[in-house]
Amino acid sequence: MPAGRFTPKIWLAVAALVAGFVILFNVGLKGSMVYYLTVSEFLDENHRQKDLGEHFRVNGTTVPGSIERSPSGLGCRFRMTDGTKELAVKYDREIPDTFVDNSEVVVEGRLGTDGTFEARTLLAKCPSKYEASKRS
Amino acid sequence: MPELGTFALLLATVTAAWAALASYNGWRSASGSLVLSGERAMLATWGLVLGAALALESLIFADRFDLEYVASYSNRALPRMYKIAALWAGQAGSLLFWLLILCSYAALLIVLNRRRNRPLMPVVTTTLAVVALFFLLLVNFMARPFVGLTHPPADGQGMNPQLQNPFMAIHPPCLYLGYVGLTVPFAFAIAALATGRLSESWFRTTRRFTILSWFILGTGILLGGWWAYVELGWGGYWAWDPVENASLIPWLTATAFLHSVMIEERKKMLRVWNMTLVIVTFLLSLLGTFITRSGVISSVHSFTKSDIGPMFAGFLGLATLVSGALLVYRLPMLQSEHRLDSFVSRESSFLFNNLLLVGAAFAVLWGTLFPILSEAVRGVKITVGPPFFNEIMVPLALGLLTLAGICPIIAWRRASPERLLAKLRLPLGAMILLAAGLFAGGVRDPYALVSFSLCGFVAATTLLEFAAGTRARRSATGEAWGRAFVRLIDRNKRRFGGFIVHLAVVLILVGITGSSVFKQEQVATLKRGESFSIGRFTLTFDDMVSRDTANQEFLGARLLVASNGHPLGTLLPGQNFYKAGQNPSSEVDIRSTLSEDLYLIMTGFDPQAGATTVKAYLNPLVAWIWIGGAVLILGSWLAILPDLRERRLAAEARLRAVESYAQA
Repeated sequence: MPAGRFTPKIWLAVAALVAGFVILFNVGLKGSMVYYLTVSEFLDENHRQKDLGEHFRVNGTTVPGSIERSPSGLGCRFRMTDGTKELAVKYDREIPDTFVDNSEVVVEGRLGTDGTFEARTLLAKCPSKYEASKRS
Repeated sequence: MPELGTFALLLATVTAAWAALASYNGWRSASGSLVLSGERAMLATWGLVLGAALALESLIFADRFDLEYVASYSNRALPRMYKIAALWAGQAGSLLFWLLILCSYAALLIVLNRRRNRPLMPVVTTTLAVVALFFLLLVNFMARPFVGLTHPPADGQGMNPQLQNPFMAIHPPCLYLGYVGLTVPFAFAIAALATGRLSESWFRTTRRFTILSWFILGTGILLGGWWAYVELGWGGYWAWDPVENASLIPWLTATAFLHSVMIEERKKMLRVWNMTLVIVTFLLSLLGTFITRSGVISSVHSFTKSDIGPMFAGFLGLATLVSGALLVYRLPMLQSEHRLDSFVSRESSFLFNNLLLVGAAFAVLWGTLFPILSEAVRGVKITVGPPFFNEIMVPLALGLLTLAGICPIIAWRRASPERLLAKLRLPLGAMILLAAGLFAGGVRDPYALVSFSLCGFVAATTLLEFAAGTRARRSATGEAWGRAFVRLIDRNKRRFGGFIVHLAVVLILVGITGSSVFKQEQVATLKRGESFSIGRFTLTFDDMVSRDTANQEFLGARLLVASNGHPLGTLLPGQNFYKAGQNPSSEVDIRSTLSEDLYLIMTGFDPQAGATTVKAYLNPLVAWIWIGGAVLILGSWLAILPDLRERRLAAEARLRAVESYAQA
């Protein structure tokens, strides 16, 4: 907190501001928390807690040869893996340029009734440019 | 050549270690020759690091693909400009580049302060040398730029095509110049704390460095947004991505510091707070470098798996501990000399400005680190998305805007509410008029109404300051309007530079509000001759266009643009197929005007059906963000240039020092 000697009125205003911030913060946080899981964790029923809603963020890499782009270039189907398990994904918006075979991808969305993951967002990283995993 | 680079970096580790030891011991034992030796060692470190960077650059230019770094980030066909940029395309190279900037700043400081700030300089050199030493350990042992390959490829993998954009080539250097520049006020703050020379205005010395770093960092953030906008092809410029956030957080705390330091300068208040801000800003810029370079947050893998993670965490911890301990040790000397008397005063408006800025920085930091924090506490990674950031940042930004409007017209110490109201009458009237005009014009979104009105309010109070100053000067000196205006700014560059920066922020917020509230999007699959419309525009698919060059093959869809029946020309969104890489890159086409951007992406072409799919965005007012950026640079430069008032303040400070010496 800022040092110095303040009048009670200023302390009161500071306290009100901080309280407002805390409320704003908690409301904002509650509404947008999403679990971030690997493919295996996501497919494991015990691991997939539902307390934050149906939406999940899942990380993996695209299975080579599994990408089927729709002719319009908007949307695709593919499978992603974390090395042990595979998850089929459906996505119907514009595809990032970095999305190719073996890309590291992060999808956010929900599991459809047919067991396909319906992604609303798709983030992808070029395989060769991912440094953190290269050495680990 | 690679051996030379490796050797230079190893030697630089020795000289940096010597610089730290000699400067520290020279300071402790008051030995001038040791201090001098430390400074020379730091200059030598700069020379060696520069040599290593040049060595890496020349290896990139020589296409030496037997080096892992060169093979990963360059190839034969890479244009020359991007070969230069390849230096900071990867982790090892960018850490070396960071180090080079740090050492250059250190060398510059040492040369500039041969006579000035002598009591502080040994500790400044020590601090900078220790930070340099940390980065030297990284590039020598963790992320080595000169590692060879046993099976060198015939050609390199080349640079990611998305990074082959002029903005992207200068965006990282801007960010780094900003990040690293924030080390300078930190080093001076540490020196002030260590030597106990807290009454000497250490921040006056570093003010220019701080503003310079602050606005270069801000420019870097905006350039990053521009790059994302023209290159990434999703119609936006900011996604609350960890890497973007990492640059915004220290910028916010540095903004807070630039404001609160004025209180310290005038009133000798908030001194502990200012020290804390400088230290925290430095720590956050280190954290930002780490987040940017390691990709640790976007990755689902554990924090500890990142190879440079533990080292960064250790150094951050050490820096926090040392600076925190120094701060606590000097607490008794940092007592405020005045008290904050009144709720309605410029001091208190600065205080609230600081709380909002630091609150914003904290929220962004918390949201960015949330995956790591939740993993540490609950054992499972949880992310928070853009809604969290927007929900918090929008009210805070509106609050800051309000303060920016009130602050210039509120008096120091204790403002009389009547006079404040009298001064507020005109801007408030302008604001209400603007709001009514917007409402009548069909704007119903509450956020847009509030934001635009407040922007008008701030613009009005700020412009009135210019007008009032010019009028006062004119009546005092009898100068003509134009001359009085120019001389007014010239004599008070710092004050009016700051106001110009405020106007820049208003322009940027107008752009952000317009493009986020009134954004429209439309997708269409079209055969030749078919059309669709978005907003007032009608787009007709004319034909496919293909171009073949040495480096790439381009395929695009030519669309005829018309507004209310008037033809406006053609747009050509398409895709580039780089011959070196496997993935195509979207080349958006944008028709940018002051009122709106028409932004087109070609997502695909189906040769059998003869149909192309185009996604169109209508982004109102987005150009004002970039215009605001240019104004920001102008205002910041103005504030950096020397001005009369500042010279007078410095002279007064010297006089006080002499007087207190005479009394003692």
